[in-house]
Amino acid sequence: MLKSSLYAALLLCATVAHAAPDAQSLLAATDAIRNPEKPFSLTTTLTEYRNGKQTDTSTLAVYSKADKAGGEFRSLIRFEAPVRDAGKLMLKSGNDLWFYDPATRASIRISPQQRLLGQAANGDVVTVNLAKDYKATLVGEEDVQDGERQARHAYKLALAAVSPDVTYNKIEMWVDQQNSRPIKAKFFADSGRLLKTAYYRRFENQLGVLRPTETVIIDGLDPNWVTVMRFGGYGWRDIPEGWLQKDYLPRFKPE
Amino acid sequence: MNTLLTPLLAALLCTATLARAADDADLAALSLADTEAAPVAPARDWQLFIEGAAGFGVDGAGGHDQSQRLSGSFSLDTRLAPDWRLVLSDRLDQRWTGSFDDGDAVNTLRDAYLSWQAGDNTALDAGRINTRYGVAMGYNPTDWFRANAIRSRVSEDPGSLRENRQGSVMLRGQQLWDGGAATALYSPELSDIRRDGSFNLDLGATNYRDRGLLAVTTRINDSLSPEWLLYRAAGGEPQLGANLTVLANAATVAYVEWSGGRASSLAALAAGYDDSSFRNRLALGATYTTTSKLSLTLEYDYNGAGLDDAGWQALQAGSPLAYWRYRALVRDLQELPTRHAWFARAAWQDAIISHLDLTGMLRINGDDHSTLTWLEARYHWDKTDLALQWQMNRGDAGSEYGALAQRQFWQVLMTQYF
Repeated sequence: MLKSSLYAALLLCATVAHAAPDAQSLLAATDAIRNPEKPFSLTTTLTEYRNGKQTDTSTLAVYSKADKAGGEFRSLIRFEAPVRDAGKLMLKSGNDLWFYDPATRASIRISPQQRLLGQAANGDVVTVNLAKDYKATLVGEEDVQDGERQARHAYKLALAAVSPDVTYNKIEMWVDQQNSRPIKAKFFADSGRLLKTAYYRRFENQLGVLRPTETVIIDGLDPNWVTVMRFGGYGWRDIPEGWLQKDYLPRFKPE
Repeated sequence: MNTLLTPLLAALLCTATLARAADDADLAALSLADTEAAPVAPARDWQLFIEGAAGFGVDGAGGHDQSQRLSGSFSLDTRLAPDWRLVLSDRLDQRWTGSFDDGDAVNTLRDAYLSWQAGDNTALDAGRINTRYGVAMGYNPTDWFRANAIRSRVSEDPGSLRENRQGSVMLRGQQLWDGGAATALYSPELSDIRRDGSFNLDLGATNYRDRGLLAVTTRINDSLSPEWLLYRAAGGEPQLGANLTVLANAATVAYVEWSGGRASSLAALAAGYDDSSFRNRLALGATYTTTSKLSLTLEYDYNGAGLDDAGWQALQAGSPLAYWRYRALVRDLQELPTRHAWFARAAWQDAIISHLDLTGMLRINGDDHSTLTWLEARYHWDKTDLALQWQMNRGDAGSEYGALAQRQFWQVLMTQYF
């Protein structure tokens, strides 16, 4: 009796000690931290550095809402600065991408590859529901430095694309074991080449949740190419369905 | 044993060194991010730029000419009240050829209209509107309001031709719904006399007859949203149109633009007679983007109202007056003079060095095989652009591009944004 109880207690301890969290739920938790659950808007300022010097700055206003059915985010992105690009718009609904230039009055459909040309390539990192497009596997636990250069004990997740039309074939993500916050992520191409490393940092209370207000992106090929995305001006927004189509782009003028 | 261990240790050491280098790079990046970013200008309602250009042209006989241009462009899109917007867009081009005593100014009022957002999904606009339809790049069969819209041609770049044109006076309404949109517009006849005064509104160019258009977009699925159009001008037959784009793969967008309806040929229009029959116009193309920021577009264009090869040859062999009358009409309507054409464009962003954009364009007349080649190198700073353009026209004497007086044209441009 005593023996069997001891076995049961040991088994329980062992189970608790190795209770691995569900990787997919963990990934979904990081999504919920990065992305507000209701339609919202925010301002993203992208600052680009090359070899330690600031080379470009742009500001985007992002209006985003999750698709009722799939949970995928659909976004309207308006360029506020630099002045050359002010007023240009991008509509992103999955891989359906439209670019609108108020000068030519033209809404041009662009491919995901074409979207990667501009700084806006990073602009929608804020509104990606990774749990929808990737299958997560828990690889292990690691002590890593976070964006504030603090040591964190983290779960390491390996994300494999489940849909063929995603930008990154594979992602590695480190998630804070204490609070499920995303710490950093590495994004890989089909070839396995590292495309970028992202650090999520400066967590602040925004729209009721502690969210990262800065993402530091380091280019995989050229580590001296750094882009810092700063998020501000969070607010809930009413975004009617009718707005999320190319015919609305010429009319989109946020207050 | 040592022979086995040495490469293993070296590999381990190398891996550790690489990992440390990556960590160091990450730390350096994070330190960089700690620095305060330069302030960003707040969003505003207007845009203004001034552009100066100096050109040098060479004709077929080796002669040359010089030209200068100073342009100003102003756009305003402001909210007058929560549901009311005012949109203004104007451009002024001052040109000199030869000497600064011989100047000519042309003002183009692109937009001047009021917009009322009657509800979340309903809007009404009234005024002069530069409305544009079509998904193709080199030739737009459904862009009916391009006819007579260009007052001042500053570049052969299709983007510039679409941007720098005057709108038509119209009343326009739009209704949106989840998965679609419908737009109806009416543009009345206001004048039948064209005026070329520097600041004339030239309503005779854009509102020379009553015109109406209905456009409906319907979403079939997430990646397929065709647009259907119905256009009619007073005295003409209804014209149908369609625009469709397809994402062929992650790097390629394919498109097709078509219009069709009973109409006279361009030759009949130029000569003043009616030979109405059903005529198709078509643009079919694709844009492919490489991982090295190079976008390549290839497009085939067909104009069922243009002259066929034999008709084009006959026109060239006939009266010069009839020939140039036809060319002038085609240019005003922004049409293709003959049946078949090819358009290719390559745009390389951050070419060789950051902030340098290289763009190349080739137009080929599919009937007389004459060509127009246009290249641009543009470097941009935060508020300033510096560009060098080169254009070359090649072909037989009476061909579409060979007949143009200038063989080559060089132009240096500087644009300052405010």
